[in-house]
Formats: sequence, C-alpha cells, structure tokens
Amino acid sequence: MTKEERLKKRHRAEKRFRFYGLTSIFVALLFVVILVQNIFSKGSSAFKKTVITTEVFFDQELLEIQNGASQEEIMEADFYDIMIENLIKAYPAKDRDEEDELLKLFSGDAEIEIKKAFLNDNNLIGKTITLDLTASDDIDQLHKGNYPRDLPEERRRISDFQLVIYDYFVENKKINKNFNNYFFNNGDSRDPELAGIGGALVGSFYSILICLLLAFPVAVLASIYLEEFAPKNKITDFIEININNLAAVPSIVYGLLALQILLATIQLPRSTPLVAGITLALMTLPRIIIPCRASLKAVPPSIREGALAVGASKFQSVFHHVVPLALPGTLSGTIIGLAQALGETAPLILIGMVAFVVDIPSSPVDPSSSLPVQVYLWSESAERGFVEKTSATIMMLLSFLIVMNFIAVYLRQKFEKRWN
Amino acid sequence: MSNIKIKSKNLNVYYGDKQALFDVNLDLNEKEVTALIGPSGCGKSTFIRCINRMNDVIDICKVTGNIEMDGMNINDKDLDVVSLRERVGMVFQKPNPFPKSIYDNISYGPKIHGKGETKSELDQIVENSLKKSALWEEVKDRLDEPGTSLSGGQQQRLCIARAISVNPEVILMDEPCSALDPIATAKIEELIDELKKTYTIVIVTHSMAQAVRVSQKTGFFHLGKLIEVGKTEKIFKNPDNKMTQDYITGRFG
Repeated sequence: MTKEERLKKRHRAEKRFRFYGLTSIFVALLFVVILVQNIFSKGSSAFKKTVITTEVFFDQELLEIQNGASQEEIMEADFYDIMIENLIKAYPAKDRDEEDELLKLFSGDAEIEIKKAFLNDNNLIGKTITLDLTASDDIDQLHKGNYPRDLPEERRRISDFQLVIYDYFVENKKINKNFNNYFFNNGDSRDPELAGIGGALVGSFYSILICLLLAFPVAVLASIYLEEFAPKNKITDFIEININNLAAVPSIVYGLLALQILLATIQLPRSTPLVAGITLALMTLPRIIIPCRASLKAVPPSIREGALAVGASKFQSVFHHVVPLALPGTLSGTIIGLAQALGETAPLILIGMVAFVVDIPSSPVDPSSSLPVQVYLWSESAERGFVEKTSATIMMLLSFLIVMNFIAVYLRQKFEKRWN
Repeated sequence: MSNIKIKSKNLNVYYGDKQALFDVNLDLNEKEVTALIGPSGCGKSTFIRCINRMNDVIDICKVTGNIEMDGMNINDKDLDVVSLRERVGMVFQKPNPFPKSIYDNISYGPKIHGKGETKSELDQIVENSLKKSALWEEVKDRLDEPGTSLSGGQQQRLCIARAISVNPEVILMDEPCSALDPIATAKIEELIDELKKTYTIVIVTHSMAQAVRVSQKTGFFHLGKLIEVGKTEKIFKNPDNKMTQDYITGRFG
C-alpha cells in the first residue's frame, strides 16, 4: 500500500465514524421527538375541562336554609333538589327517561359545584345565576374530539338522544372549555372528569422531602469520611465496592426490603409518604455518595496541602477548603439522585402506594399516592378520560425532572470554581 | 558563624518498602538561605517535607532518625503538627492559592491561629504580608478579587505572603520558580534575598544559577543520600566530591 492510499484510508475511516456518530444522534433525537409528541398529543387536552353553562335558580321552597346562612349550615344543607330542578331545565326533555339521560351529561359533582356557588354568596335565594358546571367524562371526551360519534349507537357510551342534546348545547354556545382546576386540586376519583393529581403531587412532595432529609446528610458525611479521613485499607476498599454495587441494585429490591423491615417488622403505616421516603432514601443513598465522592476527589491535592502548610488541621482543611469546592458537584449529584427517586415506581408499588386514595394527604403519615404510581394506576383504566390524564401526569412528571436537572446543571456551572 | 536552626541526624525516610532518604545529617543556619540541589527523585523534596511533617499526609510514609528545631524534636509522635506548621511555612512548586479572594488567602492562616482578633488587625497583617512579599503595590486596589485571577508569578508571591502571614520562623520552598517565567523568577529571587533577613529559608531548586544567586549554603543530594554540603561558593567553585562536580557542570542529572 502506498503512502497516499494509506492516507486516503485514514480519511475514509474518519468520515465513516462521523457518519455513524451523526446517525446515532439522529436516531436518539427521533425517539425523543416521537415520545414527546405522543405524550403531548394525548395529554395536552387534559389541562382543559368541558363545562356546560347552566342557569341555576335558587328556589326557597327546595332549600331548608335561608339567605345569610352560616358556612356550617350550607355545608350540611341538601342541594340535590335544586340541582335536579335546574339541570332538567337545560334542555326541553319530554319525559322522565329523557330527563335521566340529560342529567347524565353532567359530572357527579354538579350538586357540590352549585353548593360552592352558594358558599361564595349566601344571598342567592330567589336569584338566578349562570354557572359553568363540569360535564361528564363522555361529553368531555366527545367535545375534545377524542370520542368517535359515527359508531352505531349500541357500541357508543353516548346515546343518540344525548348526541341531540349535545348538538343543541353546542348550537346555543352552552358548551365551553375551561382551565381544568380539578386536575391539579383533586385527588384520585372513579370519575375521570373529577380525577386529579393533587394527592399524588403532595404525596410525591412529602416522599422526596423525607428522602432528601435522610439521604443527603448521611451521603455527604459518609462521602467526606471515606474520601478524606478513612485509612486506605482493605475495609475501605470493600465498602467502596459495595457502595457501587448498591447503586446498581434493582429498585424493586429496596421495595421488598422496605416491605419486610419497615412494614412487617417496625409496622410503619402502609401506603404513606413516610415509608416511601425512607425506601427512596435507601435507594438514593449510594447514588448520591458516588457523585459526592467524585467531586471531593476532583479537588486538587494542592489545595489541601496549601491549607495544611499554613497550619490548618485536617478537619479545617477539609471543611474550610475541600468541602466548599466540592459542594456544587455534590448538590447537583443530589438533585439528580432525587430526580431519579421522583420517577421511581417499582418499590412504591410494593409498599402499597398503588392504593386508590381520594383524599389529599395532609401529613407524611396519611395514605397517599405518588406521581409515577398515579401514572401506573390510570394507565390500567379503560375510560378515555384516564388516557389523557395518564399522559398529562407524565407531562407533569417530566417537567419536574427537567426542572430539577436544569437546576443541577445551573448550580454546577454557576458555583463551580476554577483552580488555575 | 550563625546559629543552627534545624539539625537532622541520621534521618531516614521510607515510602512503603522503598527507602527515599539514607542517614541524612544536615544543619540549616538561622536567617540564611540553604539551597538543596540534585537530580529529580533524589530526595530533596522529601527532606524539606520532613521539616514541617508534610509527609504525614502520605499514609505509607515512615520517618526515622532525628530532626530538631531549636532543640525540639520535630519527629516526635506527640508533637502538634498544627503548631509546628505555624512556625514552619511552605511554598509549593506550583502556585496553589485558595480559590478565594486575595484578602481571604492571606487572612486564612492568622484567623485559624487566632492572630488578628479584630478586622483592623487582620487588615494590618494582610497589608504587611503583601508588602513583605512585594505584591502590595500590584494588588492593593483589588484585594477582593480571586487569588486565582493573578498571573503565575503574582500567585506564587501570594503564596509566599500566605506563608509569612502567620509569622513563621522557617520557610520551605519546593522549587518555587519552576512554573514561572524569568522575570517572575527574578522577582521571587529578589524577594528571597529580602526575606532571609527575617526568616530561615530552605529552597529546593533545579537551577544551579538560582542556587548560586540566592543561597549561602548548598546541599547536594543523590539517590536519597546527602553527598556534599557546604558554603555555596565552595560547592560551586571547588567541590570535594567528584559526583557534585559532575552534576554542577551538567555531566549528569
């Protein structure tokens, strides 16, 4: 082979490599785009809910309370008759069957929504107001275009007569889309139009908070000791290898451990953020120790020597100089560890967080769900309303993860100091 | 003849199984500059790191024999290294300022030793240290800028200022000019000349010319042994040992 041929061959090899690299990046990006596009197209409609604009007349004869009633009185009062009387007026129905079908177009919370309006203004008796009442899941999905109306009637959840009412509402501009406050404020529900991630958000928040409070100090102290103070011997090596092994243990194993120790032996309350937080802390611990040690190791020895040479003790050289320099790396490692914990599902399923929890937890020892578990729960439901809610929850989860990773990168870039 | 500040007797150093220093007997005179020369890996740095016990940092390092400062045994296991290092400062091969402000770089030592209780006392120490290290005029208006923003030569003078901020008796310099250009080197050498009025200085150097310029006494190390020690003039003009002669004339090393 001549010199020129060899040179050409080298250039060709480089070109080939560039091509492979670019192809890989393109394929990776393509998958990301497909994933995001899929989630967005399914989930974005969940942030709006369909409402039916209805006139509500507060008839004194149908209510046992008076104008100016106190909060407790209103809470206890029955608004069922008021609801029925007003809703059946929304469309001129001919008989009882038609009225029943009409009523099914409204969500199960119509009575509560009317009651809330009265709570806001307790002088409504004898007056008529216009309320945006949440529509049922079927109407919601139909209006959002997620539900086909050209199927034969027996294969549809909506009857022909309900379609007639729906068209009447649309014609009279009585159907609108509002911001879906229920999705953020409500807990789980059997009715998709009322189900929300409020409980899962609070549950995830408590879990991650407990995970942070437990894992961060332990991981940082362990890292500092191992990296700066521990004698370099076989025991230290053994511990180091096992920390790396622990980081690779499948998360479901931590779930089993928590099930046996935290729930069966110590008998902590099941399905709670407390147990979830402890479990996630166990799982996150090695994942924080590894980046923390790496950033301690990255501090050049000359900084330690400089401090020791002016007479700083070992402790002072570590805590005055090494730790502050390693802090940005430590913090970003911690945030990335927490982001992983936030998305973790398997161990939480084992400790009973798959429970159907309607109430929003008010403390870490209340039964609760969490965001990834909520995704898992809803993804198994057949109703179309839950399909969009599943994707919307994934969108929320992903945006939290992106924000956390962004903070991690920002911290590292902003506060990392350069030495020479 | 000046007083002996530091005296080593049969000093041996081992890194694990490997012996790095063999029976070194070397006296350092007070308020004088002693230069240590020799090829790389001959033990010069190991020797000066015995004086402030920096070898403690290395787990496998073992030191036997005697090394005394003003009659106090430096190698005593019960000796508090913190107070030893307050008396024996060190300047390293590569400038290693803390990634903090110029002011904090110098005030750190006095602070941890409880010198300079008030802000004005600290200010005074910082100013004096910078003046002694001939850096004051260049940095007095930007004391809150990071020490790492200075040039290499300025950083090294900052490290010298940091070393003298705790008012030590001895300053160890481990090839302080090896990372610097000739102009910065000249400034450091001038500074060493000035500092020897107050401090006992030991400097490790690879530059014969530098040893001649700054030192009064020179020791030549080879393979962990102190081959020859004496007045700098004599070592460079008329050494007793053939190996010293070969080294300073550039025949090996």
